[in-house]
Amino acid sequence: MSLVKRARYHFMKDIGAPAVMRLSGAGRKKGPGRPKPGFGPGLNCAVRLKEIMTRHYFLSRYAEGAKPVAWVTSGAPVEILRPFGFYTIYPENHGALCGAQRLGPELCAEAEAHGYHQDLCSYARIDLGHFLSGKTPVGRLPRPDLLFASNNICQTVVYWYRVLAHQLKIPLLLFDTPYNFEDITENDVAYMVRQLEEMIPVLEEVSGRRFDSRKFQEMTGISRDSSFAWGEVLATMKTRPAPMTIFDAFIHLAPIVSLRGLPVALEYYHILLRELRERIEQGIGAIENERKRLMWDNIAIWYKVRDFSNLFAERGMNFVTATYTNAWAETISLMDADRPFESMARTYSLVVLNNSLDHRLQLMERLIKEYHVDGLVIHSAKSCKPYSVGQYDIKRLLMDRLGIPSVIVDADITDFRAYSEEQTRTRLEAFFETLEG
Amino acid sequence: MSRREYLKNQKQKGRRLIGVFPAHYPREILWAFNSLPAEIWDPPLDIEGANAHLQPYICSVVKLGLELILQGKGDMLDGFLFPHTCDSIQNMASIVYDYLGVGKPCYFFYHPKAPYRPSSRRYYLEQLKSLVSRLERDLGPMDENELRRRVEQGHHLASILREIYDARRRGGLSASNADFYRMIRQGEYLHPDDFIPLLEDFLKASRGGDGKGPGVILSGVLPNPPEILNLLDELGVRVVDDDLLCCGRRIPMHTTMAQDPFEALVDSYFAMPPCTTKDSPLKGRVDYLLEKIAASKAKGVIFYLVKFCEPEWFDVPCMAEAVKEAGAAVLTVDVDLNQGLSGQLTTRIEAFVEMIGRQQEA
Repeated sequence: MSLVKRARYHFMKDIGAPAVMRLSGAGRKKGPGRPKPGFGPGLNCAVRLKEIMTRHYFLSRYAEGAKPVAWVTSGAPVEILRPFGFYTIYPENHGALCGAQRLGPELCAEAEAHGYHQDLCSYARIDLGHFLSGKTPVGRLPRPDLLFASNNICQTVVYWYRVLAHQLKIPLLLFDTPYNFEDITENDVAYMVRQLEEMIPVLEEVSGRRFDSRKFQEMTGISRDSSFAWGEVLATMKTRPAPMTIFDAFIHLAPIVSLRGLPVALEYYHILLRELRERIEQGIGAIENERKRLMWDNIAIWYKVRDFSNLFAERGMNFVTATYTNAWAETISLMDADRPFESMARTYSLVVLNNSLDHRLQLMERLIKEYHVDGLVIHSAKSCKPYSVGQYDIKRLLMDRLGIPSVIVDADITDFRAYSEEQTRTRLEAFFETLEG
Repeated sequence: MSRREYLKNQKQKGRRLIGVFPAHYPREILWAFNSLPAEIWDPPLDIEGANAHLQPYICSVVKLGLELILQGKGDMLDGFLFPHTCDSIQNMASIVYDYLGVGKPCYFFYHPKAPYRPSSRRYYLEQLKSLVSRLERDLGPMDENELRRRVEQGHHLASILREIYDARRRGGLSASNADFYRMIRQGEYLHPDDFIPLLEDFLKASRGGDGKGPGVILSGVLPNPPEILNLLDELGVRVVDDDLLCCGRRIPMHTTMAQDPFEALVDSYFAMPPCTTKDSPLKGRVDYLLEKIAASKAKGVIFYLVKFCEPEWFDVPCMAEAVKEAGAAVLTVDVDLNQGLSGQLTTRIEAFVEMIGRQQEA
């Protein structure tokens, strides 16, 4: 690592970034502003969240050459990178950000021009499009020294990171989590523990730092506490009226994805939790007249979050739970800082997408009951096969078992060329009629 | 004898039939249980019921496999084995096991993904033994001597296949492209006791090709629709080698007979050519393909891909670029299985062949 770059990074961290945050935050001091029609007051925390994420991407521009940089998949056990001081970038989070800003097709097209098929995952196409063109709404992403992937969320991330590893000629570390068709076995756990142990010499070499087990345990503890706090944040939506919507949660999950294991994420969720509890005490709901409570399945349709949020709120319908947002909280009780490797193996390999469909169905049944859900919106995401394949059966079974009406929205997470407004509206209107009936 | 008749015949002989989905699995273990793997890649069916379970953006390998079960065409089978190949097969397996109630044993086989480390080898060994334990629950105890014999047979089969591929690469095989793959693909359901003599006869009868015509390499999942092979035959093009998941990519590059049959199976698995379904590093795949081009003097590569097959499609841009840099031509074909050749695709292939023909003359 270059001394000059390190000095520049620390200068930007201590002086530059706070100054930029002050400037960018100056116009937003008054809080979230007047509520939109149909909604309760906005979350004050949104301003703090924006500061944190802006700072994260702003500082990342100066990380290259100053700190070891890793690009990481959202489900990878990032805790093991933390004691080595890696600056972590989450291309999936960057993809979501691009999607929310409706830049998906533009960046995907860059990848497609280089031969990446339009049927491939659009997070991957956005990332490869960014890599090949340099285009990004966040200014610049630092070039990684290491790629860290886990196939606990899909095999696609590994196909995608293999391409990056080939192009960048840097190491790809894979945390291979055997899929749980049935129960997890001791062989599976032992295999994952051995993999984590094998990663350490590679991480030492790339980062130039020795592994510090005490620091590792400490950061694993922070990660566990953050995920636990995130779970508590989500649990506030069990209250009627729910103090936030799942569309808020889609935005507020950024720290648990991108900054997991760092104190800033933990601090943030404590602040958010405090605000949500205050809202519960004061009976403040995220929407004005919460009549129906819904569940969301799959990743968000990032370019439609605002539209969907308005569309449902107008009808007094609030999304109060989602299998997606729950994924960063559901297995956290398994994390044990005293047995970090073994507990990490279980925590990360037992997440919803690494388990059988029956497991997912049971999880959804539980969430439906706990959150008093009246209906389900299923996003069939062209980009995400492990999330989407099986949804037709799940829809049918939830109707049979719990009488829960549902609707399937065919779309994509960021590429709105795969989305039909007319078809979606027609399906949603029919769904609204069923729910109201 | 048709595949169905053969399987029926095998069942009458007392062999258990296990329907196996793509792609990598230790077939020697099934043979040692006096069972016969009947692989399910592209059954000739119209997709009807599978569309009620799978989205339009799921590949036809997965849809046809599920369709086979839904239409009851797998009734003769005694169980199913689902190797962990890709997200779509993984979830389809879960649909079958969790929701369809097929009433037959379902076995799952997870193989470790690359990049390989010491833990990968150990885990693969454990997975083999775990598969044996699960099979023993339904099929009774496995005789380890029988496993050793079947592993040796698997090695012998691999060596014959390598010999056939070598002969073709050198231009010393007279069989047409269509005949070649018709023969190789019989390995998807023939018992090795029958397949090995058939291959030996094929090799004997086919030796001595003239090596004329431009050579191409096929890369992708499987040679379907088979009409493409007929078209290449008509155009005088020789397929000189392949990087097809259901064919060449499942032949170990070398085999060593370890004392322990399980260790020998582990050696075989890690000696397989690089494959996207095992997450092999892309560099390995590129180098492997370039070596094939150099060894066969192929003029081009046809990436012959099933629509919506994510594992394959991710690798194509880098591989195609490397092929072009090596001076060979590239054609990328996007197909649905069993749909024949469209006029447009025929024209594209003809144009490609014309181009490599000109290169050959030059």
